[in-house]
Amino acid sequence: MGMSGGSAAGNDKSEGQRFSCKSKLTALVVDNGGVCRATQTALLRSYGVETEAVETGEAAVELIASGATFSLIIIEMLLPFMNGPETAKQSRAMGAQSKILGITAFFDERDQQEFLAAGADNFIEKPLSPEFVIPIIRELDN
Amino acid sequence: MDVMTQLQRQWREHTAYLRKEGYLDDQFEQLQKLQDENSPDFVAEVVSIFFDDSEKLLNNMARALEQKVVDFKQVDAHVHQFKGSSASIGAMRVKNLCIEFRNHCEAQSLEECVRCLRKLQYEYSLLKNQLEYLFKLEQQIRAAVV
Repeated sequence: MGMSGGSAAGNDKSEGQRFSCKSKLTALVVDNGGVCRATQTALLRSYGVETEAVETGEAAVELIASGATFSLIIIEMLLPFMNGPETAKQSRAMGAQSKILGITAFFDERDQQEFLAAGADNFIEKPLSPEFVIPIIRELDN
Repeated sequence: MDVMTQLQRQWREHTAYLRKEGYLDDQFEQLQKLQDENSPDFVAEVVSIFFDDSEKLLNNMARALEQKVVDFKQVDAHVHQFKGSSASIGAMRVKNLCIEFRNHCEAQSLEECVRCLRKLQYEYSLLKNQLEYLFKLEQQIRAAVV
């Protein structure tokens, strides 16, 4: 029926295929929206990525300052107070070598430029899709 | 046809109806694929968060538009968050209205924003009813299994 027992795209148990990362990968989701934190976290965890989520840029920066390292950090553009690009900038300034993905509800080229200039590697529009995230995880895995 | 088969058919038909009418898009299916034996209530849990967040955001938008001097940037921030969450669960009609709403925020048109907010409130309540019915069917199916 598909109501339960299914698994993530590229991870379809019914087809006997399973994508999961080989190495120990970690991710941090930074988003002030509960739905986005929940869905992005679940997607990454379905691929075997140990994932944490925080609501604010400040919380993300505090985590990194405390020594936490992440293979991948996904940051919402329009965070309150410390916005996405500022969060990326401060993370890089502290030496974070994570892959940083900026994400937003409304794609805008100026926001893209701002995020990339701040140290992000990519900038996409929500929702976070398997088609986009699987190649990133494969790249990190290698 | 036994009760279980009938309920499962109703569930499939209702899901197909929601897709056909544009209430939901492919992203909802992605969420369903994330539901498994380790997180058997994942979709219902995420949708519950969506309901809570949406109601707060709609209230925030309404209050912001009632101010003597409307801060369209603030309204836009609420619309931004609503679009992000609706896109993340596959709520297509709600998401598309957020796109329209954003245009009115950018144009700083109070009348159009208020009109759009009403459409958004209506569309959201339709979606909520439809999803609540879907989850009711799921509960009945689980009860039938036990």
